[in-house]
Amino acid sequence: MSQTDTLLAIDRVVKTFGSHRAVDGVSLDVRRGEFLTLLGPSGCGKTTILRMVAGFEHPDSGTIAIEGRPIQGVPPYRRPIGLVFQNLALFPHLTVGENIAFGLRVRRRPQEEIARSVDEALALVELSGYGERRVHELSGGQRQRVALARALIIRPAVMLLDEPLGALDLKLRRQLQLELKQIQQRTGTTFIFVTHDQEEAITMSDRIAVMNGGRVEQVDTADRVYNRPSTEFVATFVGDTNLLSGRVAQAGDGEARVSVPALGRDVPAPAGSLRAGDPARLSIRPENIRIAGPDAAWRVEAIVRDVVYAGAAHRYTVEAGDMRLLVAAPANPGTAPLAPGQRIAITWAGADAALLAASAA
Amino acid sequence: MRLGRWAWLLPLPLLAVLGLFLFGLGELVWSSFAGPEGFGLDRYRQFFARPDYIDVLFRTLWVAALTTVVSLFISYPVAYFVARYRGRKDWLLVLIMLPWLVSVVVRTYGWIVILGNRGLLNEFLGWLGVIDAPVRMLFNTTGVVIGLVHVFCPFMILAILAVFLQLERQLEEASMSLGAGPVETFWRVVLPLSLPGVISGVMLVYLMSTGAIITPLLLGGLRDRMLGTQIYQEMFQLFDFPKAATIAVILTVTAFVVVLPLQWLERRVSRNLKGAA
Repeated sequence: MSQTDTLLAIDRVVKTFGSHRAVDGVSLDVRRGEFLTLLGPSGCGKTTILRMVAGFEHPDSGTIAIEGRPIQGVPPYRRPIGLVFQNLALFPHLTVGENIAFGLRVRRRPQEEIARSVDEALALVELSGYGERRVHELSGGQRQRVALARALIIRPAVMLLDEPLGALDLKLRRQLQLELKQIQQRTGTTFIFVTHDQEEAITMSDRIAVMNGGRVEQVDTADRVYNRPSTEFVATFVGDTNLLSGRVAQAGDGEARVSVPALGRDVPAPAGSLRAGDPARLSIRPENIRIAGPDAAWRVEAIVRDVVYAGAAHRYTVEAGDMRLLVAAPANPGTAPLAPGQRIAITWAGADAALLAASAA
Repeated sequence: MRLGRWAWLLPLPLLAVLGLFLFGLGELVWSSFAGPEGFGLDRYRQFFARPDYIDVLFRTLWVAALTTVVSLFISYPVAYFVARYRGRKDWLLVLIMLPWLVSVVVRTYGWIVILGNRGLLNEFLGWLGVIDAPVRMLFNTTGVVIGLVHVFCPFMILAILAVFLQLERQLEEASMSLGAGPVETFWRVVLPLSLPGVISGVMLVYLMSTGAIITPLLLGGLRDRMLGTQIYQEMFQLFDFPKAATIAVILTVTAFVVVLPLQWLERRVSRNLKGAA
């Protein structure tokens, strides 16, 4: 990545509250025009990072730079940022139009320009004609759009969004996720989006930074975060997975073999940085485990224990060796699902699994 | 618990209090109109015919207004500080209410010690060399306003604080993120949103100031009477109850002439802030 691509550079930032290390040495480069999501459980430090970029918190050490210029000591109102809060924080004493115009009024822009920009912003978020309404007359989704328009109108270099969809119901949430993404692409603004919802992160993001305990565990595209998790935390936090504990038995060029005591055998895994003898965890997604046909390269016997029909797929819990595994199989119309108690054999391709270093715990 | 058929007894004490109150009020208004020559406005004519009474009326309004404004300017920053204080707010609240553990009379005597011609403040200013002769701060309007501000500030602080505590910190942060500095954020966001608290504080302190008796009695001069002390004098020194009633009605009416528009304003402002909490 060349230097000019980086719009926001967070470099080894540490922030402690009392004895709690909220952000523990985070480095992150945000590229111009990208939609980056900070994903993690509550208390992982994602909101603190956002507040430090906005200027409401200050790092204990490390630097934050926008367009190559450090922003240490620059007050929030002089930073080129837009902010959408979790609770939106719309001004209740102002109309929708006045809320959106706020940033331009503060900048003492001419009246006609403000009026024009507000109309454009209202059109952008599909609220044309709502300028005179009061905030409390709007629905949750509409307020959401007002908050977005209010922050976008000042044309910030970076938009910071702190779980703005958290309070909405699922259907509206999905719809706004798409709209938000479209607006981001249409305006070409760099978005940093904070959420604890992995589905939301996968739907919207160009890249996802998965955070845990004040650290960034992995920064990657949604696809790679899901299919190539680099730590056990990422594998379990993003989507469902089966974690198998074992030891690397053999590390070859393309493929490794991991001996899993619970299964009583070696299973294939992609080659990684681990060497033979290292303790390891193998993460295999439910949909990557297949019912083994007669031509399978390897197989392990299993008994179906539980079946759940989940729309497009059947989710099975199967018992193999001493452990239970989740298996997701597409529901084919016309074929009966496997029944509890049925004996089957399962298999997976080594390349579909992820080989992870066993965590210290 | 079910109240059953005795439930109708519950509002009785309330009705008794309400009845007594209305009876007293009616009696008061009645006696101000009923004169020796029958029912009429005689007593009011007598009141407004006396320049010294008119003086008392205007002094009352002036002192109340001054007390309200000074209290507001002292209380607003205090309320904001308490609302934004990150530590334990309850201790600050205790500090604010602490003066109320001591009777108003005692506290007012305290001011005599401080404000007198040979009091602490004058001695101190003289020692600094700021003044040559003692400044008269006692037994005049200055003394009364200082005393009243001291007594009523906690009410103003609590009224404003109540609004500040509901004001989300993030509204100020939103304002700053949109480019407004601290001063601009105050004028555009904090002040407009705190207006309901300011208005109710102003109403409260203004009403209490117009009716104040003890402080003007002790800190005001003999010639600087207010309506409250005038009523007190008519009742307990001259035993002229009808005249006291007349002044009381005039006091109530003038107080409400200011308060009613304020109340209307507060309702308007609050309606605009709907959904603020």
